[in-house]
Amino acid sequence: MVATTEALTLKSKTPRRKRRELIPWMFVAPCIMVILLVTVFPTVYSLGLSLTKWEIGLQERPFIGLGNYIELFSTARFWHSLLITLLVVVVGVSIEFLLGFGLAQTLSSQMKGKRVIVAALLLPVMVMPVVVGYTWRLLWDAQYGPINQIIGWIIGQPFTYTWLAKTETALLAILVTEIWQWTPFMFLVLLSGLAVLDPEIFEAAEIDGASGWAKLWYMTLPLMRPIIIVALLIRGLDALKFFDIIFTLTGGGPGNSTETLSFYIYQMGYQFFRLGYGAAASFVLLVFLAVFLTYLLKAFKSAVGS
Amino acid sequence: MSTRMFRIFSALLAVAMLLGLVVPVAHAQGPCQGSSSQCAVEAAKQFAGTTINYVREAGLQAQDPLTMAPIWEELTGIKVNVIELAYLDMYTKPLQDHLTGGGAYDAIDLSPMWMQDYVNAGALEPLDPYIEKYMNPADMEDFLPVYRSEGVMKINGVTYGLYDDGDVFILYYRKDLFEDETNKAEFKAKYGYELTPPETEQQMYDAAEFFTNKYAPELYGLAMQRMEGQAYSWFVGPFSGRGGQFFDENMKATINSEIGVQLLTDMVKQNKVMPPGVEKWGFMEVLSAWMDGKVAMIVTWPPIGRWSAGYGDTAKQLAWVPASKVVGKVGYMPQPGGRPTLAGGFNMCISASSNNKEAAYLFIQWMTSPDISLQRVMLPFALRDPYRLSHFNSPLYRSAWPEAGEYLDTLKKAAMAGQYELGIPGAREYMEAIDNALTAAYAGKDPKEALDEAAAKWDAITERLGVENQKKAYEQWLKNPWNRLGPKVEVPAE
Repeated sequence: MVATTEALTLKSKTPRRKRRELIPWMFVAPCIMVILLVTVFPTVYSLGLSLTKWEIGLQERPFIGLGNYIELFSTARFWHSLLITLLVVVVGVSIEFLLGFGLAQTLSSQMKGKRVIVAALLLPVMVMPVVVGYTWRLLWDAQYGPINQIIGWIIGQPFTYTWLAKTETALLAILVTEIWQWTPFMFLVLLSGLAVLDPEIFEAAEIDGASGWAKLWYMTLPLMRPIIIVALLIRGLDALKFFDIIFTLTGGGPGNSTETLSFYIYQMGYQFFRLGYGAAASFVLLVFLAVFLTYLLKAFKSAVGS
Repeated sequence: MSTRMFRIFSALLAVAMLLGLVVPVAHAQGPCQGSSSQCAVEAAKQFAGTTINYVREAGLQAQDPLTMAPIWEELTGIKVNVIELAYLDMYTKPLQDHLTGGGAYDAIDLSPMWMQDYVNAGALEPLDPYIEKYMNPADMEDFLPVYRSEGVMKINGVTYGLYDDGDVFILYYRKDLFEDETNKAEFKAKYGYELTPPETEQQMYDAAEFFTNKYAPELYGLAMQRMEGQAYSWFVGPFSGRGGQFFDENMKATINSEIGVQLLTDMVKQNKVMPPGVEKWGFMEVLSAWMDGKVAMIVTWPPIGRWSAGYGDTAKQLAWVPASKVVGKVGYMPQPGGRPTLAGGFNMCISASSNNKEAAYLFIQWMTSPDISLQRVMLPFALRDPYRLSHFNSPLYRSAWPEAGEYLDTLKKAAMAGQYELGIPGAREYMEAIDNALTAAYAGKDPKEALDEAAAKWDAITERLGVENQKKAYEQWLKNPWNRLGPKVEVPAE
């Protein structure tokens, strides 16, 4: 009897339920279409492109399978650009984190003029990276740059070192510029994390005689872990695509010494119109981004879970 | 006759009438007998109301079409929309537009070294039918031979561009310093020969070293653009002048030959007698130092000659150019070494994707016609340099400032002895490899090692694009005497 009633109910409601189930899909359909058009289609298209020999200098565009990937992995310039990218991610982001954390710790307590200091510290983040690049290019200038001027005052004689044109210092100059711009971002995220930590547990630890170092190592850092991971995730992903400052400061030079993977892809794809090869390089970058993201998200989940 | 048949007949009749109207008009347009500018204007009136998009280098370069476009619009009713792009984007964006079927650009400015890539991509409209229809043939002969040759205006014998910018490197030197009796005596005592405006690279180096040792840091002997991006332009001319070759008979790169390595070694050495930080100097840094009287010699493009003479320096477009402190003190010589680099330059071309090809062609014919182009190359703020015989001979131009005649003669002499940058498929990539080698050597890398790396890159590019294809393109390119490398240009008798 029950089964018969259920069957009847289902039978009578099926068209309406179907309609009801369809309505949400109709609402999201335009969004899905747009996403398919602007993300999925280009991704699939460029995957196809990466399997062809698409060169501006050639009339034919033959399918070459993994030819572009094989060429990519056997090119020293690619590996070098990857190394520079990883250097920026590991060294640059680590220093940004350390400086940002130090600043956040310093400014997390109530102090006079804190608002002004925080606002001033945030200014670099608000400037466009291209503007930062051109500004720092002037600062690093050999003859008229203030950096050499100050060093000259300190050592008591004119100092005209060409920071951006020497292989030994060009990358250092880039890292300093990058760190200057993005440390405030780290600082802001970490400061907001520190602000929500319960002060009572720190007071309790103090009563128990915990030292400053012990509080930092055993309480602040573990409690801040999810925030730290988010900050590293955002900055790490951004640094993997590092381009603007390289473009404006050194143009990848001297030689190819400061070329990052993004810059290399730009050169191959948009300057030399090696679209197939450029697409292959983009996919490799995508894989790196995916691996990085997966690892940090896993870490984030475990941090939140613990 | 059924209704259906009548409709078909009517449609066919209409098409026939249209053809009947169009064809006689087209035939009626014979070659222009009078001024090419006037012929362009008359023919363009049929396109009144059209808007054409014209790509031009951003900044000062764009001031020229921005000045001329309203005049053209008033004469023809055709509006010109000037689209300003950065120099390197001028290679990439119109090509991207064509490859994506955009049709956003009608007329485009292209460097001769990019022409092959554009022609290969089918991105350019052949101009010969339009030239035949609208241009006075005598005006074609008025282009200086170096600028109307194969690989410049023509690719494989087909005209794809009208040349519009006589870019060639010349040496500007400070006459007052070179003519100073004390300097002359001191120089002779040290180097054992007279201090004269340099004709050879060694003379240029000696003079630069002499002035730097004597006057630095107030004044340095020499300044040249060394920054990445276009540093290769200062390599090409001297490399050819010393007898260097780009490729051997098997299309293997030979830029790392002894000649190349020695040249790069010398270029690194030259940096030591230039202002500190010159490795990052671009056009503006060289210009500022020169106009400020801080260097004795520079090797660069023609506009600096006009500005340093103070010609038209009250134009508001030149407000950004530092006031010249060297007016009346400037002498001119072709770039030392025998083969001045024909660096850059521009053709005005028509995009194959344009929907207004004929109107756009008439615009570029008008712009490059002898009378209009003379006005344009004389605009003090424009960066277009003389390229027609009539420009070099113009009494008006020759009297524009006291040394203008000497300036024009030097430009012509330099151009006629000039060396073009490589213009075969992949040219941009080949040149970038040299650029990387130069900046790496300036940064301390061994010149031989740097050039070996560049040569390896060249071979890889050639291999990738097909050795036979590249060989064919290179042989075609070498048909132009100003493309052939070597100490002297050998122009066959016409």
